[in-house]
Amino acid sequence: MKAAVGLVLLFFVAVALTLVVGVRNAGIVDVWQAFFAFDASDPTHAVIRSVRAPRLIAGLIAGAGLGMAGTVMQAVTRNPLADPGLLGVNAGAAFAVVVGALVTGYADSGMMAALAFPGAAIASIAVFLVGGARSGAGSPVRLTLAGVAINALLLSLVSAIILSRNETLEIFRFWVTGSLAQANARPLEAMFIALVVGAGISAVIAPRIEALALGSTLARGLGTKPGAVQLSALAAITLMTGAAVAVAGPIAFVGLVVPPLARRIGRHVLRRELVVSAILGGSMILLADTVGRLVVAPAEIRVGIMTALVGAPAFIFVVRRLKPGALT
Amino acid sequence: MSGMGSGNVVLRGWALLAGLLAAAILVSLAVGQIMVTPAELLRGLMTGTGPGALTLRVLRGPSTLTAVGAGAALGASGTIFQILLRNPLAAPDVMGFMSGAGCAVVAGVAFGLFIPLPILAALGGLVAAALVSGLSFHRGGRQSPLTLILVGIGIGFFASAVSSFLVIRMPPQEAADAQRWLTGSLAARNWGHVLQVFGLGALLFIVLALQVRAMALLELGDELAAGLGARVERARYGLICTGVLLAAVGVAVAGPVPFVAMMAGPLGMRIAGVKHPASRLTAAAIAGATITVLADVISRSAIPGLQLPVGVMTGIMGAPYLLWLLWKEVEAGEV
Amino acid sequence: MIETGLTTTSLTLGYRERVVIRELSIAVPDQSVTSILGPNGCGKSTFLKALARLIAPTSGQVCLSGDDIGKIDTRLLARRLSILPQSPKAPEGITVSDLVRRGRTPWRGLLAPWSEEDARVCQQALEQVGLSDLADRPIDELSGGQRQRAWIALVLAQNTPYLLLDEPTTWLDLAHQLEVLSLLQQRNRDHGTTVVTVLHDLNLAVRFSDHLILFGGNGLVAAGQPEDVITPDNLLSAFGLKALVMPDPITGRPMIVPH
Repeated sequence: MKAAVGLVLLFFVAVALTLVVGVRNAGIVDVWQAFFAFDASDPTHAVIRSVRAPRLIAGLIAGAGLGMAGTVMQAVTRNPLADPGLLGVNAGAAFAVVVGALVTGYADSGMMAALAFPGAAIASIAVFLVGGARSGAGSPVRLTLAGVAINALLLSLVSAIILSRNETLEIFRFWVTGSLAQANARPLEAMFIALVVGAGISAVIAPRIEALALGSTLARGLGTKPGAVQLSALAAITLMTGAAVAVAGPIAFVGLVVPPLARRIGRHVLRRELVVSAILGGSMILLADTVGRLVVAPAEIRVGIMTALVGAPAFIFVVRRLKPGALT
Repeated sequence: MSGMGSGNVVLRGWALLAGLLAAAILVSLAVGQIMVTPAELLRGLMTGTGPGALTLRVLRGPSTLTAVGAGAALGASGTIFQILLRNPLAAPDVMGFMSGAGCAVVAGVAFGLFIPLPILAALGGLVAAALVSGLSFHRGGRQSPLTLILVGIGIGFFASAVSSFLVIRMPPQEAADAQRWLTGSLAARNWGHVLQVFGLGALLFIVLALQVRAMALLELGDELAAGLGARVERARYGLICTGVLLAAVGVAVAGPVPFVAMMAGPLGMRIAGVKHPASRLTAAAIAGATITVLADVISRSAIPGLQLPVGVMTGIMGAPYLLWLLWKEVEAGEV
Repeated sequence: MIETGLTTTSLTLGYRERVVIRELSIAVPDQSVTSILGPNGCGKSTFLKALARLIAPTSGQVCLSGDDIGKIDTRLLARRLSILPQSPKAPEGITVSDLVRRGRTPWRGLLAPWSEEDARVCQQALEQVGLSDLADRPIDELSGGQRQRAWIALVLAQNTPYLLLDEPTTWLDLAHQLEVLSLLQQRNRDHGTTVVTVLHDLNLAVRFSDHLILFGGNGLVAAGQPEDVITPDNLLSAFGLKALVMPDPITGRPMIVPH
């Protein structure tokens, strides 16, 4: 109960800060008026509605998507180091969109962003194959290293493509580290729908994933089909990660930091964990983004860098807690 | 097998390795926006006039030689850690030492510190190495190589994030350059860079040569090495420092180029067919130089009219190698 | 003829070229405790896995109350038959009660929330293994014996008339082995659950089982009541072991004393 209150509080603080803080500081009253008593002549209202609201929505889609995708990934692979960012799924999505834009010559917008889904799917399948997750022989270490390799490869390719097109530094940064600065130009509605579908699939198969986390033998004894569960989980991860990358670029570490917290608060009941992950992930991205806008104002630090500053130490913390058996 | 036969095989391996490097250098000098024939290059070298001379002196000579020096330093550095930790993944790039070095350089530039880049890079690399070692430490337990590697990966993430953070503070043009440099770049190198990387590199190779015997003992395991008279801890720290400094020398002139250090050792060992640490280090240095020069040529000329940072290319080359390595371990059932 | 219980007809099992069990037709008696015995590599684990449909037979079939288990829907089968594999691994940090509730998986509909019935069965399973007090403790903090009982509670929560366990006593000390086996025996006496286990320790198997299936290097050696299966001749052909068989002073069942 206490945890639930804390979560809701955190969430509202994150949302409020996103709307209030910026070059043009607004009050809570301004925010209220911008939505419910809009005055077109007031520049503060305009900023809130046209810049900060999309930013808020994009942050929530990305945070909830990455948080839930990380939780599903960690449950399926039983790997506390699994994260769509670290394992290259984000990079796969970004890569596909960037290649799409390269091949067709169009700027990446609505339609192009849909390529994030096949990109994420292919990258996650690749990681699972190389990491040996499929055969059940995959140790956390190998899966992580396979992910790091795929991530490095795809991001190198993304960099190469973007640099070869002489794009702006801003676009480079969006597709390499992730940022909410482009939020009002991203296909928010479509990606919200994708996120909801992915979350729905996760919620439906959650009990099956819980069984799978006990090992495939026992899972089969419990009447689940491991292959089918893994495929559905893959679909869910792809939808949620793809949506996140399409609106905010490949942000890493949210899917690493959020799941262990969600496990503690959700107490190992996956459906509860998913709800907690969505809230925590959204709050984490919004707070990281707000801090990033504050520290070097008027410039801003991309949200992907902020999450990495928090996430890299968290990664080391998780590594230190790995059981010796996981390292053989 | 007779000593004679294996000697010939080894000799052929060395010849192949050296030949590859020579070929890579030649290609690097000849290929670019304007093609220069080997004959012109030779004439430029002899007479100091004509297009060949300009290419050698200004356009491609310095960056090619910088690539040779940086690649050799990185290759040797990677092999030191691979031998010490007995793991092909142990390399200063994978383990975050190079990101640490790069981060320190960016910090120096961002804060306008007047400290020479090699010193900044060395400091950053050493701090990163100390952090990796300290954070992997478990009370009561030995540090497993994989813990060190994973913690190193984490340190690398962190250092890269800090670097990106610092880049934002710079003016736009400088920021763009720094961003490029952080990927690993050999653009606009001059003879100063060549002197620096070869001077410092040669110094460190001499230091390394003095440590090779201790290294050969450490390869046998700590206990046996101690029994054979090695001062295990001191020898290990000495080698780690040498390795980090070699990596820093490479970073100072070429940025944190990924994966060269990791690939060079195994590649060199395979081509030259050698096992002893001294030979492995030499082979790795040559292989590292070859990889870097080739990656530089490809990144310069793959897309006409555009110079990609060399690090993008080594990333594209190195990641599949890392995947192959993991795949092989699946087959062998090792990891 | 309508068959009851768990039976095999001309069952052949193997991995690739290697045939482990050939043309075996055998019945596991209903509502009894059966132990599968034999030397390492004789295929006893393989046989158990085939009974639980974890591996598909090369030929022949396994039937549950006359139905070929290969044709029963996975989830429906999991409501009739549960299996606990050897040394299962728990997710990190999971508590005993959260582990046990995962045993309810086959009983829960696709969108069904957690029900009163689910809670009651889990509670009961925890009581049966004597872990009610430790329900909220993380599995990692328990002793080996307690941990194994938690896993057994998971399959008890699955609430099936057939319960299969692959070496449930491995890695346990003798006292905990006895504890686990008497727990299973109790479940059999109270609920009429058919229990099938693979065991290593012959004397323990004899003590707790109503029925034994003994494999040797070349397939089945004997099956039946302990008194009929545990004979010097059978032990010699299954294990190559020369041993005396005498009545156990406590239970009166056969006891093995190797030469």
